[in-house]
Amino acid sequence: MTTYIIRRLFYTIPIVLGVLLTTFILFNVVGGDVSDQIAGKAASKETIAEIRKEYGWDKPLFFARDSQFNRHLINAATFDFGRSWNDRERVMDKIKQGAGPSLSLTVPMFLGTVLISISLALIVAFLRGTIIDVLAVLLCVAGMSLPFLSFILFGQYFLAFKWGLFPVFFWPDLSTVRYVTLPVLIGIAAGLGGELRFFRTVMLDEIRNDYVRTAFAKGLSPARVLFKHVLKNAMIPIITQVVLAIPFLFLGSLLLERFFGIPGLGYLMVDAIGARDFQVIGAMTYIGAILFVVFNLITDICYALVDPRISLE
Amino acid sequence: MSEQSKKLPKGRSLWSDGIHRLAGHKLAMAGLVVIAAYFLLAAFIYISELCNWKISFLQWGDKIGREYEPPNAKNIIGTDFLGRSVLRKTIYGTKISITVAFLASILSIAIGVPLGAIAGYFRGAVDEIIVWLYTTLSSIPYILLILAFALVLKDKAINLHWAGLGTLELRGIASVYLAMGLTSWVGICRLIRGEVIKHKDREYVLAAKSYGCGDGRIITRHLIPNVFHIVIIDFSLRFVSFIQAEVILSFLGLGEKNSPSWGAMIDTARLDLPKGYWWEMTAATLAIFFISLALNVFGDALRDSLDPKLRIQ
Amino acid sequence: MNNNGTLLSLENVSTHFFTADGIVKAVQNISLKIKKGRTFALVGESGCGKSVTALSVMRLVPHPQGKIAGGKIIFEEKNLLELNEKQMRNVRGNKIAMIFQEPMTSLNPVYTVGNQIAEAIKLHQDKAGWQAKEDAVEMLQKVGIADSQRRINDYPHQMSGGMRQRVMIAMAISCQPKLLIADEPTTALDVTTQAQILDLLDELQQQEKMSILLITHDLGIVAERADDVAVMYASRIAETADSKTLFANPLHPYTQGLLKSLPRLGFTGERLPTVAGIVPDPLHFPSGCKFHPRCPIGCNDERCQTIEPEIRYVAPGHGVACWHAQGYEKITDKQNG
Repeated sequence: MTTYIIRRLFYTIPIVLGVLLTTFILFNVVGGDVSDQIAGKAASKETIAEIRKEYGWDKPLFFARDSQFNRHLINAATFDFGRSWNDRERVMDKIKQGAGPSLSLTVPMFLGTVLISISLALIVAFLRGTIIDVLAVLLCVAGMSLPFLSFILFGQYFLAFKWGLFPVFFWPDLSTVRYVTLPVLIGIAAGLGGELRFFRTVMLDEIRNDYVRTAFAKGLSPARVLFKHVLKNAMIPIITQVVLAIPFLFLGSLLLERFFGIPGLGYLMVDAIGARDFQVIGAMTYIGAILFVVFNLITDICYALVDPRISLE
Repeated sequence: MSEQSKKLPKGRSLWSDGIHRLAGHKLAMAGLVVIAAYFLLAAFIYISELCNWKISFLQWGDKIGREYEPPNAKNIIGTDFLGRSVLRKTIYGTKISITVAFLASILSIAIGVPLGAIAGYFRGAVDEIIVWLYTTLSSIPYILLILAFALVLKDKAINLHWAGLGTLELRGIASVYLAMGLTSWVGICRLIRGEVIKHKDREYVLAAKSYGCGDGRIITRHLIPNVFHIVIIDFSLRFVSFIQAEVILSFLGLGEKNSPSWGAMIDTARLDLPKGYWWEMTAATLAIFFISLALNVFGDALRDSLDPKLRIQ
Repeated sequence: MNNNGTLLSLENVSTHFFTADGIVKAVQNISLKIKKGRTFALVGESGCGKSVTALSVMRLVPHPQGKIAGGKIIFEEKNLLELNEKQMRNVRGNKIAMIFQEPMTSLNPVYTVGNQIAEAIKLHQDKAGWQAKEDAVEMLQKVGIADSQRRINDYPHQMSGGMRQRVMIAMAISCQPKLLIADEPTTALDVTTQAQILDLLDELQQQEKMSILLITHDLGIVAERADDVAVMYASRIAETADSKTLFANPLHPYTQGLLKSLPRLGFTGERLPTVAGIVPDPLHFPSGCKFHPRCPIGCNDERCQTIEPEIRYVAPGHGVACWHAQGYEKITDKQNG
């Protein structure tokens, strides 16, 4: 088991390198030297040169001791992302500020969607073929067919704007619970359809297996069969879906934050995209990638925990 | 012996059995009709532009009434802020959505399925490389990846002379959608790889090997048909996600600017909705809803009828 | 008390499946009696409905596509078909247990063998975890798995097919059921293992004093191991008798055909005789006697072609459903079981 983990850890190194290479190519090679844009129209030559020096664009790209790529690597290792092109704040500070609101939005949304959809999937898979199953599938499919933006717009318009049940926008004075509830509900409602349908399929596939018939033949109740036997086997594809979604929680929900004015990482991202602020975009990309890699590892470990056939390889 | 005992019932192949069952599934057939309708409409629009026909309901640019006219007898879905017919805009929007989603879906499947099958079947070094590739790609947040590709590919002319195809020019929006296809293959690749890994040690593969089937033949004739239902479901779901992605891209300012698209129509609604102008957004939402619903229903039914385990014994 | 040694009695049981192509009457009016401590074999070709009959007893017919359409299943003076689900669960795995054909897939791959055996024990006997585990170890020993203390923590994929089937048997007998239903328990195993498993079942039957309902298509097994037999054809019982009588004096043309096709020492012909034709499509059963298209006598007989014969007991314990069976015409009373 330990060797398995160590092997997986070693494996993450080429991935991280790959990510660094990709981000470097995207942002330094393609993006390049934009010191004059950052300095602004009225800036003097010295300012531009200063900025160029600060961002390291005066150095060669690859083949030197202090090349841009090396610098890129060092920055990544020390989590030093320099200053935003947009407002010249330290990028790490902006990220730290934005993390809190984003998590307070995405974590409840994630937990809510996952727990509700797995439970419903179990029930619906068992009631397969009955009218409840058919209805559930129809509802899921309908939910999946509506564009996410529509959910947000309608939700915001009716529940907040027209009927005043929730605040329309984020306001610093509002408690977190108040301003987060509506976006969370909208997020769950929009995501539930797809997740439930996926989990239902997974459950149905498992239920068809012979060991389920054996379990019933032993006299186990349907609840027992589902929760003990089917669920554990269904966990493998479920784990992939669920655990790998976690890194994206940190990045916040771009659209929800934008529409509700929540000052999280998603909002930050949208701003950065609009301003073509590669410093911020690059930093968030890198962090997102690292998180992803870490959670990939966690997923693999979870697989080994759940499936005895794997850990003994 | 009597006649009855001599007549052997004619066996049915999986596909013909599947299609037979699918044809009996009324909802799915209705869905197919809807899908066909959208596709035909898109094709028709292309043809009419090619042949320079002037069809009245395709002239979305004409001003036919006052600004912001609500739905009435003359204009069924009212007019937009320039007095143009919302109905015509909605119809025309079909062209872009269908084209883009189709091309991106085909591209992602064309890349993802072979890579996934090869990775899952051969394992070893080949698998490591492919997994490294898609792990790196998928570590980077989707939106950023598309953005980056879009910037790189923007207004570029790809030289395809070596393939005897002349030069492919990427105007405006095409780069974004090419980017979508090039980045979305990861999902199907991973799924196919997982299934192939599960199947490759199964007895029917060993049986095939035992009578001398080469690897290529095993993959194409044995493995891929057994995992193909995943491709189908993925295609129908992915198609839907591309149609919906267009909405988000429009929101981020990357969408089609010269002709109407459903995403752009919803985007304008952000500002129009508080003013009470709901029809443009509703029209676009419904247009997206129906094609997505049809695809989802059809994809589900197709999967059910193609799944070998669900056949009547 | 109409006990007289009968443990389980099926009376006119019918099970139907509702498919897109029509109603499949997989089991029609099956009646049989399984006596205490004896092995009853239900024999027939693939698709004749024998597995469905077994599943019907356990009320494990896949629903909603399948449904027990009629009849009674009397066990311990109660009609199993009238029990509610909770009561039925008390019967399953506890009073009546079942083992299946595919040991490779019939065990849950993510739990240890011990866990799965102990599960039934904990459920039906209300024992504590550690107690159930000890019982499980004992069960493994009983079914002949060496080193059972260690093997209790193995996973199914670490065991061979034969061992897995033993584990299935251990699971089934863990609560001392009165009846064990074995659905083709050895079909998926090699011949040596087959013999071992069947020996094991014999042994356990004596030890635990239980009845066995053995579903099989292998007449050889029936001849060796069964006390009573019923031959099924196309959802109905063609003939039923105790094993000796059936082999000595088969009355139904189908049974006769089957027995003739068994290879035996001293056979000097060029080809083994077979029963011509194939099993009919359950969606389109022939009219009259379902066997008539393949029957050397019935294919030309108008009565066989139009009227379906029911089971009549031409001798005590020997029932047959054939217009041309010896003694059939004379019997009008079909109650003699």
